[in-house]
Amino acid sequence: MNQSKQVVIIGAGPAGMEVAAVLSDHRYRVTLLDKELQMGGKLNQWAHLFPDFSDADELRHAMLQRLNKPEIHFVPQVTVEQISFSSEKIRVQLSDGQLVNADALMVTTGFQVFNAARKEEYGYGLYQNVITSAELETLFRESRTIRTSNGRKPGRIALVHCIGSRDEKCGNTYCSRVCCITAVKQAIEIKKRLPQSEVFCFYIDMRMFGHGFEELYREAQEKWNITFIRGRVSEAARNQDGLLQIKAEDTLTGRPLKMNTDLMVLMVGMEPSDGTRQMQWMLNLKQTFGGFIQSETGLLNGNATNHAGVFVAGSCKGPMSLSDTLTDARSAALEVMKYLGHSIPERQQASAENEISFDNR
Amino acid sequence: MGKLYDELRKDFRLEEGLKACMNCGICTAICPAAEFYHYDPRTICDTVQTHDDEKIEELLKSETIWYCGQCMSCKTRCPRGNTPAMVIMALRRLSQEKGWFTQSEKGRQQLAIKRTVGENILRLGYCVHPETVIPEVHPEQGPVWEWIFSHTPEVINRLGGNYKKDGPGILRNITEESLLELEAIFQVSGGTNLYRRIENHSRRKAKEMNISFIGKGTSNDPYFVHVYTENSGNHSR
Amino acid sequence: MNNNWKNYQKDISNDHYYYARSCIRQNFFPGSETAFLNILQKDLQRDIFDDPKHTTCTGIGYHSDIVPFETTMTVIARQFALMTEAGYSNFVPSCVTSFGLYSEILETWEHHPEIEAQARDYLWKATRREFKIPENLVHTSDLIFHFREEIARKAKFRLVNAETGRPLQVVEHIGCHYAKIFPSRGVGGAEFPYVLAGMIESWGGEVVDYPERRHCCGFGFRQYLVMANRGYPVANSRKKLESMQPYQPDFIVTNCPGCSMFLDRWQYVIAEQEGVTYGEKGMGIPVLTYEEMAGLVLGYQPWDLGMQTHQVAVEPLLRKMGIPFREEEKYLDRNGKSISCPEKPSFLIA
Repeated sequence: MNQSKQVVIIGAGPAGMEVAAVLSDHRYRVTLLDKELQMGGKLNQWAHLFPDFSDADELRHAMLQRLNKPEIHFVPQVTVEQISFSSEKIRVQLSDGQLVNADALMVTTGFQVFNAARKEEYGYGLYQNVITSAELETLFRESRTIRTSNGRKPGRIALVHCIGSRDEKCGNTYCSRVCCITAVKQAIEIKKRLPQSEVFCFYIDMRMFGHGFEELYREAQEKWNITFIRGRVSEAARNQDGLLQIKAEDTLTGRPLKMNTDLMVLMVGMEPSDGTRQMQWMLNLKQTFGGFIQSETGLLNGNATNHAGVFVAGSCKGPMSLSDTLTDARSAALEVMKYLGHSIPERQQASAENEISFDNR
Repeated sequence: MGKLYDELRKDFRLEEGLKACMNCGICTAICPAAEFYHYDPRTICDTVQTHDDEKIEELLKSETIWYCGQCMSCKTRCPRGNTPAMVIMALRRLSQEKGWFTQSEKGRQQLAIKRTVGENILRLGYCVHPETVIPEVHPEQGPVWEWIFSHTPEVINRLGGNYKKDGPGILRNITEESLLELEAIFQVSGGTNLYRRIENHSRRKAKEMNISFIGKGTSNDPYFVHVYTENSGNHSR
Repeated sequence: MNNNWKNYQKDISNDHYYYARSCIRQNFFPGSETAFLNILQKDLQRDIFDDPKHTTCTGIGYHSDIVPFETTMTVIARQFALMTEAGYSNFVPSCVTSFGLYSEILETWEHHPEIEAQARDYLWKATRREFKIPENLVHTSDLIFHFREEIARKAKFRLVNAETGRPLQVVEHIGCHYAKIFPSRGVGGAEFPYVLAGMIESWGGEVVDYPERRHCCGFGFRQYLVMANRGYPVANSRKKLESMQPYQPDFIVTNCPGCSMFLDRWQYVIAEQEGVTYGEKGMGIPVLTYEEMAGLVLGYQPWDLGMQTHQVAVEPLLRKMGIPFREEEKYLDRNGKSISCPEKPSFLIA
């Protein structure tokens, strides 16, 4: 019965992969689409994951193994050209000419990082030695050494939180959730590679919401001597020596500070990806105030959209950690199954001996 | 919500200048006054948003609110769309309305500004006019200004001016008709009232401080000279 | 060079302007206002009206909090009424504080129509005048920016070292109220304003980026007006001068009349107080208004431009650019008679 149902999943990042794994376990047919050649989405760009520094590639491998099933058909390097709805099916027209008839649609098109060049005052793209957290992660992944543009070991590195988040000026007033813990993680990773360096984190709040996060923050201070300054960096300028001069207020002591640093890492926030925006437009989906896809309100219905048959999971709904994403994906798979009329075994008549009673006797 | 806060709220610049502050400090980071003075725009916004009348009254009587240089660098950066400099303007306005500006050294200087810029506007139609930039009290203008001051008509007219004459041109005479219109505008819109208030409160303060108060003019008035030059030296970090 | 400025373009009208003079510029750089009108009218053949009836906008009084908002906005309403009466709808103030203030008033009236109604009411009661909101409000430096290519085509001199052919290294300083209040009202926005950089690049110079580029010159309104506070402006200007010095700028150009005055005069003060000078050979870094810069490029005579009113000597720059001048004509009146001359300072001798 399930085998006759086809679900099209748009986006083969962690969310899409997890939905595919669960659905295929229950014998639903899955067509998994992605614009890239490989599955994995942003997981392909991370090196080690917070809070325990587990290997991103290992996770990716483990997830791929679970997709080695006949029910799953992966179509790489395609985009969706058109989606139309009839009373029976959802017709998905792909850019390679294929037409797929689906019974349900799962949107897992994910996020993209904020373009740091939009915050001109930090000099990204204009000054050397200003990089994003995503670029630093790539550097870790490729096992490159951390060096300034003139090839020297940086003596001082400043990580700047909230770039493109919590900021009316660039249009993203929401918090991107995972940048704080990423900063703690990356600060430690920098210290591991450059034990002699001074590492600073300029934060507004430390959003240590997950398991092990607060503990990692403490480790960063106690074991790795990372300095946390509560103050939002206002601007970076380049001086004659090529160093970056940054200005912030140490709000806990109430004093403005100016500091030279060799390297500045901008903790860029999350925005809806181009694919997510395309899906919103194509399917006329509701938006959250941050521009992500709005799932139906209520804690009980977090993966349905305002469009029957169209479900949504992962960071296309809003900033999420991997842990959030995988959990959300599993919940979305269950929603899809219910929608597709998943067969549920008949309840047996309860016999008197087997009956569990909750009355007080 | 206290009464003082309510009064402050009547100034639309408070609504424009303060939505809600998250205390990130980006304003203080970039503020020139915060660098040189005991000044922190973040704490001012934070204080005002507590709506605590006692704290607001303290602010209105303090030196603090007079340190801002109105450069508006804070407005450019605030992630919540606040402008501490506008909050400052609302505070300064209320401080003068209440007469509390005379309780601080920097606040007392309002008299000096009123007697110079303030009177220039109504008497001459300019905020600044060469005949009022007297080298003795503007040594920073240097010897070139002394020369201009001593030969103003020649210098101005050499450069295409129409010094103190009717008609268009640089430093032209602003006619009686225009000056009367300015005067009338000041009367109907509360400008004259503010000038009067500044004078009256200053007179009272001068008496309290035992300094002679002539009531008009500049270097002839000991109280003017006092507020124009007095600096305790306790204002910087 | 940052090309983001193209994202912050604004509408600048092409002709028929109502001109509002600047108190500070008239006092300290009078030649610049004359030059501006000459350039617009003679070189660029545009219509710009110099109305004797307009007054100060009271901006300096407003930002020192002795003039209430209601009064300032009504004075400004009167300026708009004069513009309307004269048959114009493009308003162009010469002062940057004015520009910021006019912009602020227009934005306020847009968001609070009841405040605009009050301005109309006050103006009527006081003067029986009525006004129309300007269709276009830009600063005078925006006009020169708008016409920079036309000026480049007519240029007699360029911003290059006449001997070596090397572009002059120019520090451009933007008045705070030009773009910090409403970044979208400044060409290039608040972070990398392009209004002066565009002129410099069109005329052959190179813009110098230095750490304190965006920092306020320190005017601070009350911080300068009251003698007791003057440490503040000196400290801020000094910060900028220290920051730009390693880049060896040939000159500074600003679009705000106050900024030009301060960056010029504080070099004198710092030199006298501490014996510290900036620029080459203890002569200081010349500070130009953009009108002077445009005028020099177009071949106007330096003493007609009013460069004799600067404290920091401009002659080294004129020589660098190959601009001929006669030193003996520096301190003459319009009839060619001597007006004596300023005393020499202890430092900053050209």
